[in-house]
Amino acid sequence: MERDGFEKNLGEKELRKSVDEVSNLALDIGGSLIKMVYFSRNSDSSVDCSSNGTLNNSILSGRLHFEKFETRMIDDWIKFLSTKQFRFCGSQCNQASANDTNIIKATGGGAFKFADLLKEKLGIILDKEDEMDCLVTGANFLLKAVHDEAFTYMNGEKEYVQIDQKDLYPYLLVNIGSGVSMIKVDSDSKFERVSGTSVGGGTFLGLGKLLTKCRSFDDLLELSHQGNNREIDMLVGDIYGGMDYSKIGLASTAIASSFGKAISKEQELEDYRPEDIARSLLRMISNNIGQIAYLNALRFGLKRIFFGGFFIRGHAYTMDTISVAVNFWSKGEAKAMFLRHEGFLGALGAFMSYEKNDPADEASHQIVKQFPNGSYCIEDGFQSSDSTNASDDGCITCRLQVTK
Amino acid sequence: MEGQKMFVQIDQNDLFPYLLVNIGSGVSMIKVDGDGKFQRVSGTNVGGGTYWGLGKLLTKCESFDELLELSQRGDNRTIDMLVGDIYGGMDYSKIGLSASTIASSFGKAISENKGLDDYRPEDISLSLLRMISYNIGQISYLNALRFGLKRIFFGGFFIRGHAYTMDTISFAVHFWSKGEAQAMFLRHEGFLGALGAFMSYEKHGLDDLMVHQLVERFPMGAPYVGGNIHGPPLGDLNEKISWMEKFVQKGTEITAPVPMAPPGTTGLGGFEVPSSKGDTLRCDASELNVGVLHLVPSLEVFPLFADPKRYEPNTIDLSDRSELEYWYTVLSEQLSDLVDKAVASEGGTDDAERRGDAFARAFSAHLARLMEEPAAYGKLGLANLLELREECLREFHFIDAYRSIKQRENEASLAVLPDLLKELDSMTEEARMLTLIEGVLAANIFDWGSRACVDLYHKGTIIEIYRMSRNKMQRPWRVDDFDVFKERMFGSGDKKPEPHKRALLFVDNSGADIVLGMLPLARELLRRGTEVVLVANSLPALNDVTAMEVPDIVAEAAKHCDILRGAAEAGGLLVDAMINIQDSSKESPSSVPLMVVENGCGSPCIDLRQVSSELAAAAKDADLVILEGMGRALHTNFNARFKCDALKLAMVKNQRLAEKLIKGNIYDCVCRFEPAC
Repeated sequence: MERDGFEKNLGEKELRKSVDEVSNLALDIGGSLIKMVYFSRNSDSSVDCSSNGTLNNSILSGRLHFEKFETRMIDDWIKFLSTKQFRFCGSQCNQASANDTNIIKATGGGAFKFADLLKEKLGIILDKEDEMDCLVTGANFLLKAVHDEAFTYMNGEKEYVQIDQKDLYPYLLVNIGSGVSMIKVDSDSKFERVSGTSVGGGTFLGLGKLLTKCRSFDDLLELSHQGNNREIDMLVGDIYGGMDYSKIGLASTAIASSFGKAISKEQELEDYRPEDIARSLLRMISNNIGQIAYLNALRFGLKRIFFGGFFIRGHAYTMDTISVAVNFWSKGEAKAMFLRHEGFLGALGAFMSYEKNDPADEASHQIVKQFPNGSYCIEDGFQSSDSTNASDDGCITCRLQVTK
Repeated sequence: MEGQKMFVQIDQNDLFPYLLVNIGSGVSMIKVDGDGKFQRVSGTNVGGGTYWGLGKLLTKCESFDELLELSQRGDNRTIDMLVGDIYGGMDYSKIGLSASTIASSFGKAISENKGLDDYRPEDISLSLLRMISYNIGQISYLNALRFGLKRIFFGGFFIRGHAYTMDTISFAVHFWSKGEAQAMFLRHEGFLGALGAFMSYEKHGLDDLMVHQLVERFPMGAPYVGGNIHGPPLGDLNEKISWMEKFVQKGTEITAPVPMAPPGTTGLGGFEVPSSKGDTLRCDASELNVGVLHLVPSLEVFPLFADPKRYEPNTIDLSDRSELEYWYTVLSEQLSDLVDKAVASEGGTDDAERRGDAFARAFSAHLARLMEEPAAYGKLGLANLLELREECLREFHFIDAYRSIKQRENEASLAVLPDLLKELDSMTEEARMLTLIEGVLAANIFDWGSRACVDLYHKGTIIEIYRMSRNKMQRPWRVDDFDVFKERMFGSGDKKPEPHKRALLFVDNSGADIVLGMLPLARELLRRGTEVVLVANSLPALNDVTAMEVPDIVAEAAKHCDILRGAAEAGGLLVDAMINIQDSSKESPSSVPLMVVENGCGSPCIDLRQVSSELAAAAKDADLVILEGMGRALHTNFNARFKCDALKLAMVKNQRLAEKLIKGNIYDCVCRFEPAC
């Protein structure tokens, strides 16, 4: 079941065609995962960007790529990058001088933690961007520029939400990484981290590993899919003898106490199916996040809650649980919304930040400049289908218009 | 907060609305708007059952308590991913997260190649506890915020008086509310549901139950068994005694050292650092005791407080360690003398000896328990401690340990009363008032609660001591508002102020104190046309005079004094003096009444939040309150302010208190007059 598939994935499929054409690599190094966003120019691109400086109006078409690695395997990742001679620089297109100092935009705690390591091993200097800034920038970008980015998920139905750009703000952005940050976003540039919880993706995987011996997040999710939480959770029906506690609106299948049954039986850890444990754990954490998110949205009068971050991974049951939690606690008034590129908000934000600090870089300058108009800087959206883990490899095909 | 328990006084009229968070297997959050008016507004499925369930799976702990105890020795840094772990030891200060903030509970368990067996169960338990407590605190706060509730009460079995749990929840509420909201805990936390179910039986009366009608008592077993119930209740006295005897061995256990949390482990993690005093807290000691609630429907709040919300009976806060230690020593030293008296009062029989012995053990155990955890029985003041001793005596059927002493002293004092009254009557009105107040202060020297006084008793007769004490009276007293009081009584210049309508005199000791001190003062007030209500204890405490005893004393005194006789008759005290009624009606037909009421308590101190309904009724028309004696005027109520005039009179018979309270010395006097607020 174990996967160390990123390397293979990335190596075979993407880099083969993107060597030498990759630019604007941006990183989000979190507690569990390293997320990468980079731009690759189509080799058949009709516009030659190397001649830049002379062209005032050119189209640069290519793709935005989204990749991830597990942070604990950072050594492998470094080895991989060094062997592939990835061109990291933010100003790959033209300025040869910039290549000498490989500056890469990065965010997340790991941008601080691994700064020395990357400099030593790869000669990369990380230009650190604030994590929250990046999350918000990334989310704003996706919500404004990418069609069918946001969707609701109820009863197995995915429904895309059309976001009116003018009516986007304010919203609550819930980024579920190892931990959870909740950010109130008021405008393109104004936001505030209003809450959070330490019970997040890291808790799911951490507790899951201890309880089930699963090694990876995906295995654990897969397990949970086959589980039944009724074996371990104490349900309202368990307490009320199968009846609903209707007076307070609790169905007999509502969870009264997560893992509550584990106390009353003469059973050890080994007596429980890992599948059931994973399921209980997933529900506990998803439900909790949904609830806290809703309470915070309510507190600030926010209509929309967007959930992002790698915990979700387009996993149906996770989304369902969060949706149900938000729906339940809001009595149907609020809806949880998810983002297809949920895991890459930070990395995307870091990618967008190339523009801010490096105006000479026209390519990224372009994207940032154009997306607020929603005009066709990003065409074609996703290439991949809606399958649950599509966003892992999903990249955005885009055309960059160079208008210096 | 920070390992300290602060008890909160709740004004009943300002109790609602509040958020009640009941943490059982799951968590219910109930918005309570009023009696019988509530709504379950939220909850979470991550509760006590989750802690126990996950904890059991992860640590193989057999019981909840075992799991909690494990957490005491844990270090959550080994399992939780902290902000510092992600940021390479740095704070993420921009959003106010310090390096020790938990970024992801159990987040470290993912990044290392370790299995369950590689983690210490202690660390797992602490991580789990932090995760769940913190989460509950957060959701509670968000719900309180949502409904604009100022107070959050946490109850339910998950808390169990456990310091970390409370600390973590407090911290979460404090953190998220930026200090604006505070988590409060209930000592009877685990019994809310059961208590509610019990209350539902009593649709005939208990609904209107008010806090002042409940008196909490801690039975003798409390120090040994904590809040837990072990075995069947002990019914009769004999069982109690033998239980006490059996547990004499066990008694050593509670003072034996219990492994303490290694320093440095308790303050880490959490959401940031709830700074539990890790090196002083003991897991068993932090558990709070839950007493038996006695329903006394006749108790009421004293109606004359200037500000009932701010009333705090105790003057000395025993949460000050040195203060507690001092009183612990005082009470321990007095114990053997008290046992002797108590046994003698019951005839010195073998049975009395045995009971005395059991009492001594039980009370010592209470003291030891309180030394260990001062908050075990709720907020601890000296009044509570002294009352506990009396309750403990009663529990072993010592009805009145000082009965014979009180009788003897009353007789001796009554014998010299006529001479004193004659002496007083020869004075001018103003000189007499000073002499009377002096007399009250001087007579207050008799106090079996004071070690210094007990020593005095061995040196002379009661009258000799009284004379000596009076001769030593020299103004100014250490606290001397006599001139202000005198002006209120007599005015200045031509203007004569109206006499008080009714005075409540809270009396203290038997013997000279009441007979030669308070009674003559009462007589003077009566003479001025002020109704007098003598307020005395309902139950015996030390040598304090009780409401049962006062009428006899008054009747005896009335034999020598017409004023007292007339007033006592008018007040219905002399029911067996039918003949005299006719006489007196001739002499002083308009005599104002002298009455006696019980105060509703059996302690040398008085908590005026819980007084008898008689006293409360009598107080309604009163415009002067006189509190006499250390227990009622200094240990308690020294700082109490009243709507009416108040006079506090006492001789300080304790060097430490004298220094602390009035920066004076032993035998200094306090005459504090506070005009109506």
